[in-house]
Amino acid sequence: MIWKEKYKLGVPLIDKQHEELFRRVNDFVETVRKPVPWIEKSKTINETMDFMKDYVVSHFHDEEMYQKEIGYPARKEHRKIHNDMVSYVVNIARQYEEDPGNEQLIQQFGGKLLAWLINHVASEDQKIADFVRSKEAAKHE
Amino acid sequence: MNDAFYQSFLEATRNVFHLMLDLDQLTEKHVQPDTAESSAETICIAIGVTGSLQGKITYIFPNDTTLKMVKIMSGGMEFSAVDDFVTSAIGEIANIISGKALIELSERKIACDILPPEVLPNGVPKGTGHCKEQNRVALHTDIGDIELDIQLEAQK
Repeated sequence: MIWKEKYKLGVPLIDKQHEELFRRVNDFVETVRKPVPWIEKSKTINETMDFMKDYVVSHFHDEEMYQKEIGYPARKEHRKIHNDMVSYVVNIARQYEEDPGNEQLIQQFGGKLLAWLINHVASEDQKIADFVRSKEAAKHE
Repeated sequence: MNDAFYQSFLEATRNVFHLMLDLDQLTEKHVQPDTAESSAETICIAIGVTGSLQGKITYIFPNDTTLKMVKIMSGGMEFSAVDDFVTSAIGEIANIISGKALIELSERKIACDILPPEVLPNGVPKGTGHCKEQNRVALHTDIGDIELDIQLEAQK
């Protein structure tokens, strides 16, 4: 999972958090896919599940604060996407706590997380940057 | 098939392949539903649609193309089989494409919701024809052909 310059929104705090998310999810995917016994992966998986539960919530909060600050018109819809993802992560983390040997659950989580994060940063979050650019352009007209 | 429905899904597919996979060349070719046949080496993901339109979209990805898609997303990791990880990633892609298409349709006052992705273990039944508005299209990409089976019916 490669972080690309084109994903940058031009907001240093958010860009830094996105880059960190990419790095952590990449490490997670590499661990999940490693051809070693499941028990050897559990430490990294436990750490990632804890990280995701906290970091996703605080990143989404920062992003929503920024959207409010700039008057982003689609923030209600964007917030729903965030809330749905938080619910999903919390639900997976709960299932994993109850059944730490459930490799299928974590493989499915990894696959969805990979695709979801790329789309969210490359597409949904870019709408925020588009809005800022159109606001700036309107100012100079 | 209402052309607006059809175009919305094609455009959403192009958009997702461009943004997520850096694939820009998607060439369209129509497929006759009665002759279309999915090979055993494919993964079929169905997304149910409810609301102003009812029915489902089925995305048919050859296994080889599926593995290449996940390889691109992962930044070059090798995937040798369509397993739980790969299926989940591709299910999410189908979900994302469908969601984008429905957002576009909602701007034209066609309000729908989608259901979670469902893997069809036996593929798409050929030539079902039970839906009034049905269409199937193949898209050629640099990593193989994919197909969309769009079975949607407008609610009166």
